[in-house]
Amino acid sequence: MEYVISVLIAGGVMLAIAVIFGTILVVCSHLLAVRRDERIDAVENLLAKSNCGGCGRAGCAQFAEALVKGEAKLSDCRATPAANKEKIAALLGGGEVGEETVAVVHCSGGGACYDKYDYQGYGDCASCELIAGGVKACPVGCIGKKTCVGSCAYGAVSVGDEGYSVVDKEKCVSCGACIADCPKGIISRIPKSAKVFVGCSNHGKGKDVMELCKRGCIGCGICAKNCPAGAIEMKDGLPEIDYSKCTGCMTCVHKCPRKCMREH
Amino acid sequence: MTLTVLSVMFTAVISQNIVLSQYQGICPFLGVSKKMSSAAGMGFAVIFVMAISSVFCWLLYNYILIPLGIEYLSTMAFILVIASLVQLLEMLLKRFSPTLYSALGVYLPLITTNCAILGTANSTIVFSSYESFGLVFAASVATGVGFLLAICLLAGVRLKTDGADIPACFKGFPITLVTAAIMALAFAGFTGMLAG
Repeated sequence: MEYVISVLIAGGVMLAIAVIFGTILVVCSHLLAVRRDERIDAVENLLAKSNCGGCGRAGCAQFAEALVKGEAKLSDCRATPAANKEKIAALLGGGEVGEETVAVVHCSGGGACYDKYDYQGYGDCASCELIAGGVKACPVGCIGKKTCVGSCAYGAVSVGDEGYSVVDKEKCVSCGACIADCPKGIISRIPKSAKVFVGCSNHGKGKDVMELCKRGCIGCGICAKNCPAGAIEMKDGLPEIDYSKCTGCMTCVHKCPRKCMREH
Repeated sequence: MTLTVLSVMFTAVISQNIVLSQYQGICPFLGVSKKMSSAAGMGFAVIFVMAISSVFCWLLYNYILIPLGIEYLSTMAFILVIASLVQLLEMLLKRFSPTLYSALGVYLPLITTNCAILGTANSTIVFSSYESFGLVFAASVATGVGFLLAICLLAGVRLKTDGADIPACFKGFPITLVTAAIMALAFAGFTGMLAG
């Protein structure tokens, strides 16, 4: 009988402590609940939840809070689909939605671009860049050692047989991680709806580019002269596409003698 | 009295350092010591929780467990008290001091169930001969300070070893463990100083 009582006392005391603390916690969690704007959660649910950091904030939760407070613009987020952005804009009463964009690598060199030396390290583009500005003869040629592949959290970037990086526009959320990491700075955003893009970043003269790469833009201007919509203009040796005028007729892609105007 | 408090604190911080000579709290010691800022945050959170838990565990032990003759349940009761207290504390901080919450918030729940907290409560309240509550409290806070000292020292060394040219097989955790071992050796040099 003594044992039973001592077991009961021990169990009872522990149970009592547990119940007391449990009650205090429940009461306090109600009393001390931090009231926050309900729209923050609603907005967060509509965001891409990729937590990519492309907007410059720690994650989607912080971005949602900044949106509701009016400290951020909806167009800062590039990962959220346009349909959801419109819902958020309706919820918050307006705000620029911004155009959906994706990243592209402005280089078509790879194997077509000559090598300056035989790289025998095991590093990525960033460490290769340290040795005489990379292995490629072209100063703005894709090194093809997969720094961007590593920085992409969505598996959207790959290096194909041609030896240069290619972005899969279906997978890309335009977070900008690869843009920041590319030591050559040859990745930029274009509208997702774009049909063509310039696959070269070299502003050099035709003869100089020819010595570096078989596919580099020589600035001949054939694309600009033949564009039926007048959407292409030559600027500093490279064509510039006005995507608001481009109709996607592909004339430039077919006419380009260097095959560096590419289909998107 | 002052001398006793000082010697108790010296013992807890240096010669009986919780991490480097008692091997408690190794998990956060190795896990959160990559950056100096997070190491300091963790250290202060530990001091905070140790101070608070020593107060409540001492009250619980002396006024509930001993009178009822169930001291053997101290471990369970301490876990219960510490876990609920930290939860409560988190709520209070979130409500009244968002700044402190964002500084400590991430680390508070991490250390709730850490062996270092429970070990300190056990060693200062149950297994020690400290007569007054003042000594128990001083020992608990000093143990937390000892943790802060150890984790910040390790973080400082790790910042150096991360950039140092060391063999590939030593990179990361191996060199950290070697560092911790050498630090433990250095702290062992204080054994016996100001004892008693």
